[in-house]
Amino acid sequence: MELDSIHSFLVHPGKNLEEPLEISGTLVDKAGRLFDMLKKVFDNAEEECQHDIAFSPDDDGKQRNECRDLILSYIKNSDLTHGRHLAKKLQAVTTNRSGLGLLFLMMGESKGEIKIVVSRFPADSGILAEEKERGLSVEFLERIFMKSATSYKAAVYKGRSHDHDFWKGKAGDKQINSAESYIASYWIRDFLNSDFLTPGEAGTRRFASAVREAMNRSSDTKTKEEITALCRLLPGLKGKVASAKEILDQFQVSDETQDQVRNRFSRASLFDERFRFTPDELSKFLAFRTVELNNGGLLTAPTDKFDNVFTRETVDSSNDIVRFSTQGTVVDQRFRKEKS
Amino acid sequence: MTSLRYAYEMRRKQMLLPLADRLETHLKDVFKDCRRIDRISVRAKSVDRFVAKAEKEIEGKRKYDDPLTQIQDQLGARIVTFYKSDVEKLTMEVTKYFRHIESVQIVPDSESEFGYEGRHFILFIPRDIFNDEVKEDESITFFELQIKTLFQHAWSEAEHDLGYKPLTVLSSDQKRRLAFTAAQAWGADQIFDELCRQIDSAGA
Repeated sequence: MELDSIHSFLVHPGKNLEEPLEISGTLVDKAGRLFDMLKKVFDNAEEECQHDIAFSPDDDGKQRNECRDLILSYIKNSDLTHGRHLAKKLQAVTTNRSGLGLLFLMMGESKGEIKIVVSRFPADSGILAEEKERGLSVEFLERIFMKSATSYKAAVYKGRSHDHDFWKGKAGDKQINSAESYIASYWIRDFLNSDFLTPGEAGTRRFASAVREAMNRSSDTKTKEEITALCRLLPGLKGKVASAKEILDQFQVSDETQDQVRNRFSRASLFDERFRFTPDELSKFLAFRTVELNNGGLLTAPTDKFDNVFTRETVDSSNDIVRFSTQGTVVDQRFRKEKS
Repeated sequence: MTSLRYAYEMRRKQMLLPLADRLETHLKDVFKDCRRIDRISVRAKSVDRFVAKAEKEIEGKRKYDDPLTQIQDQLGARIVTFYKSDVEKLTMEVTKYFRHIESVQIVPDSESEFGYEGRHFILFIPRDIFNDEVKEDESITFFELQIKTLFQHAWSEAEHDLGYKPLTVLSSDQKRRLAFTAAQAWGADQIFDELCRQIDSAGA
């Protein structure tokens, strides 16, 4: 898709300020090195922005979203005036911590489909060294905007209908690697008035279901041991934004076990979708752990307490013979038709 | 309108009916542990109702200039639950598992009126239900979800049947009697909910 227009705005922090600084803006030439750099950001936006997001309704629950309205208004008019409205929205949520930023609005259209990329580059400082006739001149510079492709925030939206489309898009933050809460609060929630497309509970539920199915359907001892170990560690991920693939990678789960889990997702792409991990949802799916022995014995306990309830000893390692022991007061006994 | 009818017929057959089946299964799975759900159902909007809605006018102008993309209840889901407090609990559950762009409680315009009531959501279709038959990129984006009590559901079904008969214009007296039944349903909901809370708290 061709990149048809770029507007740029210098956005000073303005959160909670009664009189924020004026916002300067300009139309960027469609030629030269700046254009070439921004064209790459525009072209690669779908791959670089890895968080699927959706605009939120207004406080009354109606289908209105201030940021979406500003983006639609910019799309319809594609001028500095409407772009500046969006820049003001960014300014109103920008703190001194976020600092000075350069906002780029990039838009293209192909066969009736419109694509818009909203991107913010943070200002940096640096030293300019120039060789002159009488020696070296050094100067401290502020307001440098790095060309580096690893230091910007962006969001991309595509659509055809102003009424129907542009409700969901993708967002990314190349500035940080680990502070997901920051991109979530500043860029996604405060500026874009959006949230992750898949709620944390839904994403965790999908993941937990796949893990449980992989455990229950696998006959491979190593897979089961890996999943058991994984489930002990998962609650520590509370609030982390990650995909199923990233979670399994983080805990160095083997490729074979990852395949077992991936195969339990209804579509492979869901394995790579990011969500906010919600341990409560996990415990609904993996509430009880059962170990079955070849002598017919079944040991069941809450997953998070199993290793405390039963002590496991190796009796004969060459034949994988183990002994489980526990002690307590009998509070109930039951008959069941089936094992599970 | 013939081409629109044909386009919707094709969409309904190829996209909406398969999605409706899978969405119903998904909803039943997500809410299977919720108490006092009477039924969960999903329907693809009928061709006649879609065309009728597409032809709606406001002050002489068509309400929808692109009905295939603008009408958001082409897939409609409904959860019928027992009591009013169950609607509130389910509303919380829905927002945990689905992303919405609209969540409104529909009530009559004034305190002296009785009529249609229900919680209406416009939700993103969950990504879990797409497959090779209906791909996410080619699908509609949203579906409507209504949550109602048994009495709200019963009243709206009967009212829809009576009020939307072809060539029927209800008289003032008939409208008043419909409002009376809505008031009775409203009252029944209030009392059942109070009883439920009292009995639940006594048993707690």
